[in-house]
Amino acid sequence: MQKSGKSWVSPWLSGSVPVLIVAAIPALIFVGVLLYFTGWALMFSFTNLELYGRKATEWSFVGLDNYERLFTRRGFLESLWTTLNFTFFSAIIGQSILGFTLAAVLRNMYGGVRSVLEVSLMLGWLLPDIVAAFLWSATTSKTGLVNQLIVIPLGMEPVNFLNDYALPVVILANIWKGTAWSYLLYSAALDNVSKEVVEAAKVDGANAWQRTRRVILPIIKPHIGTNLLFITIWTFTYFPLIYALTGGGPGSKTEVLSIFLYKQSFGIGKLGYGSAISVAMLVIVGVMSLFYLRLLKEPE
Amino acid sequence: MKKFLTGAAICALSTSATTAFADVSIMYPQWIASLVEPAIEQYEADTGTTVTSTELPVDGYDRRVAVDLAAGTAADVAVLDSFMVAELASAGYLEALEGPLSDWDQFQYYMPGLLDVVSFDGSVYALPTDTDVRMLWYDKSNFEAAGIEMPWHPETWDDVLDAAQKVKDATGADYAFLLPAGTKQAEAATMQGFYMAMLGADTKEGERNRLRNWAEGKWIGASPAITATANLYHEVYVERELTEPSINYATDLSSAVREALNNDEIGILASGSWEWACLFDCNGLDVPSNREEIIGWTPWPGSGAEGAPATTNISGGWAIGVNAGAEDKEAATALLTAIFDEANFKKWTLDNGRMAVRTDISESPEYMENAFLAQATELAATTTGRDTYPGYQVVSALVQDMTGAILDGVDPEDALEEYHEALVDEFGEENVMTLE
Repeated sequence: MQKSGKSWVSPWLSGSVPVLIVAAIPALIFVGVLLYFTGWALMFSFTNLELYGRKATEWSFVGLDNYERLFTRRGFLESLWTTLNFTFFSAIIGQSILGFTLAAVLRNMYGGVRSVLEVSLMLGWLLPDIVAAFLWSATTSKTGLVNQLIVIPLGMEPVNFLNDYALPVVILANIWKGTAWSYLLYSAALDNVSKEVVEAAKVDGANAWQRTRRVILPIIKPHIGTNLLFITIWTFTYFPLIYALTGGGPGSKTEVLSIFLYKQSFGIGKLGYGSAISVAMLVIVGVMSLFYLRLLKEPE
Repeated sequence: MKKFLTGAAICALSTSATTAFADVSIMYPQWIASLVEPAIEQYEADTGTTVTSTELPVDGYDRRVAVDLAAGTAADVAVLDSFMVAELASAGYLEALEGPLSDWDQFQYYMPGLLDVVSFDGSVYALPTDTDVRMLWYDKSNFEAAGIEMPWHPETWDDVLDAAQKVKDATGADYAFLLPAGTKQAEAATMQGFYMAMLGADTKEGERNRLRNWAEGKWIGASPAITATANLYHEVYVERELTEPSINYATDLSSAVREALNNDEIGILASGSWEWACLFDCNGLDVPSNREEIIGWTPWPGSGAEGAPATTNISGGWAIGVNAGAEDKEAATALLTAIFDEANFKKWTLDNGRMAVRTDISESPEYMENAFLAQATELAATTTGRDTYPGYQVVSALVQDMTGAILDGVDPEDALEEYHEALVDEFGEENVMTLE
């Protein structure tokens, strides 16, 4: 490994130190900004800094108070639980499994149907979050599409879905919005599975389930890991669609950590406490990423 | 990742408000467009100065303007909720106006009591656009269906709850008593909901119905009034389920309320005098001619406890100030006076049923002939203001949080305790008191 250390660098680059330095500047600035913001959040998580008023200018260090409050005050743990539910059901179960199923089914289809399905998948992904929020709000309201088309014709009382089933609606909205990514990634991964291997398994008498379970899944395992890593991080910190759709409510039924953080930082104005929440989120996402990275490395 | 959110959010909020190349700039919420926009046109025509205007949605406007001013990226002229003026002025973000306005002949007409609200340390920092009173609106068709006598004059909270219950039982309305709650609508939940109830909760004596005890200089962490109000929320949202909570978190709250009224889903709505226009069209353009057949209003009654006031009220209102960091303050002040020029200001006040803040308008025949404004002005005679001591914004947000928790099913006792704890966290044990 050591020996090949330089071989990937273009000779033009490696031959000229000034060029190397110039090339490194953007990277250094980028890393510097990242570290600056992280350091900023970390430092202020130990203070009582506020957005307005006296403590906006005369803040002081309060030790671990903010971190203690994560566990002694209502809010953080409840939001963490909501976030885990939201992430598990909408990203890991919803987007990933639905994306894989669609990729597996659609790759054997050609022509119009496939195009139509792909375009509709993409539309969800491409639509801005705020537009999507208004769309889902209009669809699931008491006078909305679902009630008009399904619930009322069946002779049932119209349901205000955002009131009675806020979290499931938000989860469905996010599945609808994010499945395109998993679909694309799994489609590409499945293209990499060579036909010969699958045919060989077929000749050996493996049925469709066994072929998927024993042959295809192990081959695309790194792709699954990468995909789960991405969508878990995105979903865990996701904000706009939920905020516009429900504002975290009713009550705190859809108050995921990002909304809790926003409320504490900009609603109540406690930037110090908000920083502590963001540091806690960073740690949680970090631990989850490590878990996925290990999954990726594990030899088959 | 999330660790950058706070910083990134400030950057994102700030950049979009930077207006470096304009001669003068202004930021305002959508609902006030019909006051600001004609004046901008006139001003541009008169002076040849270009005005860059930033029209913003109502949701989150308070936060946006505070963050922009703090970051130094706000427009030269800013429309503000009046309760923020003292706090923003104390931080040095706003320009004192007496000097710049000394040549303006219309400054003398502003009512002194209303200028107090927008003053800090003896100086005026913004000019009020309107004031308001708060009341209970009701849908007449639903009240008729429920067999409730009109005009409706409830005397206690129980009367209000009973009427709402009747509406719910008779019509199945989703929002039989829409009592604003939760954090998404910010200050509106505190003012239109919690404050209006709390002010009539306990006996009038000794300023017990407030969030702050001014004599002692302390925030009130627990009191019979706060407890009674928390229990009222519990009764409305949990015990009797008089309103579906989700409307407090709607994607677009004011249009959700308009739609609900249109579909006869509202029984009683706790809100303010602006609804006379806003329940139909806030800019006063598309208002039905038979409004008084659709909706009625009544003052908020006291709780009915011994010694509690018969009715309550609290007034707020909006104002327009000049950014202390404005490059051309003269141009900014000129724009300000163009907006408040009598012809423009009076028309807006009357068209929108706003309560006048200037004697030249309030004493004009057109204003005095307006039946709604005349009655609303009567309510204003006994009104009160918010506890706008620095720190109020945090207290208000904590109140909203408490109502949100109760609506979510948290036991009122726990929610009250959490409110008290959070106040102590914020201001220290020595600045928070308990009333028995």
